[in-house]
Amino acid sequence: MSRSLIVAALLTIGFPDAARAQVAAGQVTINGGLSWAGGYGIGESSAQLRTNAPGATPPPFTLFDVDSQIGATLGGEVRVGVAVARRFTVEGGAVFARPRLSFNISGDPEAGTQELEGESLQHFLFDAAVLWQLPMERHPRWRSFAVAGGGYLRQLHQDRTLVESGQVYYFGGGARYWLRGRPTSARSIGVRGDVRLNLRLQGIDFDDDVRVYPTLSLLMFLAL
Amino acid sequence: MKTRALIMLLALAASSPAHAYLKLGALVDGAVVDVTWRGPVRYFISDRGTSGVSTTQLRDAVARAAATWSAVESANVEFAYLGLTSAVPDEIDGRATIGFMDRPDLEQVLGATSFLIDITNGDIVEADIFFNTQFQWSVSATGTPGRVDLESVALHELGHLLGLSHSALGEAELQASGNRVVTATGAVMFPIATSSGTIAERVLHADDIAGISDLYPASSAISDTGAIFGRVTKNGQGVLGAHVTAFDPERGVLISNFTLNPQGEFVIARLPPGPYVLRVEPLDDASPDSFFSVPIDANFRVTYAPRMVVAPQGGSSRSIEIQVAPK
Repeated sequence: MSRSLIVAALLTIGFPDAARAQVAAGQVTINGGLSWAGGYGIGESSAQLRTNAPGATPPPFTLFDVDSQIGATLGGEVRVGVAVARRFTVEGGAVFARPRLSFNISGDPEAGTQELEGESLQHFLFDAAVLWQLPMERHPRWRSFAVAGGGYLRQLHQDRTLVESGQVYYFGGGARYWLRGRPTSARSIGVRGDVRLNLRLQGIDFDDDVRVYPTLSLLMFLAL
Repeated sequence: MKTRALIMLLALAASSPAHAYLKLGALVDGAVVDVTWRGPVRYFISDRGTSGVSTTQLRDAVARAAATWSAVESANVEFAYLGLTSAVPDEIDGRATIGFMDRPDLEQVLGATSFLIDITNGDIVEADIFFNTQFQWSVSATGTPGRVDLESVALHELGHLLGLSHSALGEAELQASGNRVVTATGAVMFPIATSSGTIAERVLHADDIAGISDLYPASSAISDTGAIFGRVTKNGQGVLGAHVTAFDPERGVLISNFTLNPQGEFVIARLPPGPYVLRVEPLDDASPDSFFSVPIDANFRVTYAPRMVVAPQGGSSRSIEIQVAPK
């Protein structure tokens, strides 16, 4: 038996599904890596007093203004997907990050403008998503996809002294690159990049408005 | 502009931090305790009207103000009107009496509250309120230009009668005459009255609600609110009498208290849970005598806490030190 035939035989043993034409339903993919989230404002608020003007609703006197932001942050992300069809995968994921909540004070004639030190939040997101592998297969190792999902947001203040919850809905896309194996392989390893646009409802917010922020994820995956 | 009254019997300026808000205190066995009523506040209305206000209108205005305090959900406050009396407010007779008095000697005092306190336990035995007939009063639903709104002043004085002291949450300007003109208030318990014709002070502020909830807490007030505590220092030493204001950016509410001991410690309790911005300022928008019977330090600049502080539900924050600099 020639050397090349031996190598081919080993690969076949190691990746018995390599020769299949498509992903079988039920295939499980485990992803893990880093996730960067962009910063966003969470509202402006004014500390106001009631002025000494006639009437039941006199105009307010502003003592100072507060502008609040959640800063950009890098966190950890894990995702588990199950293929439900050749191009569709259902995923569940979790993200943990420590974004910084900061405040800018302005409009105080006695103190001037200043930025407070803020605090580091604990941010958890548990989500579910549907991933659709796009029908573009120009390269044997690359596959692009679109993704949409939503999840439960949990944000904790200093030393877990206060919990605020909300929801995050997102859509976006990305690409996967197989380092070992192929897209149709049962056991393969690769990297995955996601770009998502997130819509956040509730959570830590001073106006209770919908907040929009981007996320970029870079994950390693293992398809079983 | 006329100032509201100082309380006639003051056991103020606690020597240790009162647990939130500036309240009246009594020294009992060497410790400062809150001055409160046990059970409903049973009161009489003095059977005397004044120009433009009948006894019935006085009774109704006081009843509306009492109902405003009783309506605070996070506090257990109850009033019981017992009827008209021929007694005047400043008589020591064991009965709470509210009414008009002619006090030309108190030309800048709209009204005042006096107390009889059991110094063995801090219970209020009797408290009377008078409204000075030297002023023109109004009970109009929309206010009357040139007249002082009786319900607004009754709301303030009933706050004292319940055991609250003054709040410094407001802005005032000192005039050349020596009088202070209020420009804005953040509490009904601010010691300087708003201008005549104004009826906006018939409504309690968050600061008033926190104060009364601290004195007479409903069970929900204990479990649903949090507290912030800390220390104000200048050159490493505690600052007595610094006014500390907590601002909740989410709800837009301001609640304040003072540092109440030489160590510069403060507590602001009964806060809705959440993150707060803390601002420290010297007591320069009202006469310090309206708050403290001991000298205080007002020689420092307005300063913000370096970080925001969370009032946890049912608990207290970690202590925060706020360092201020001399002016």
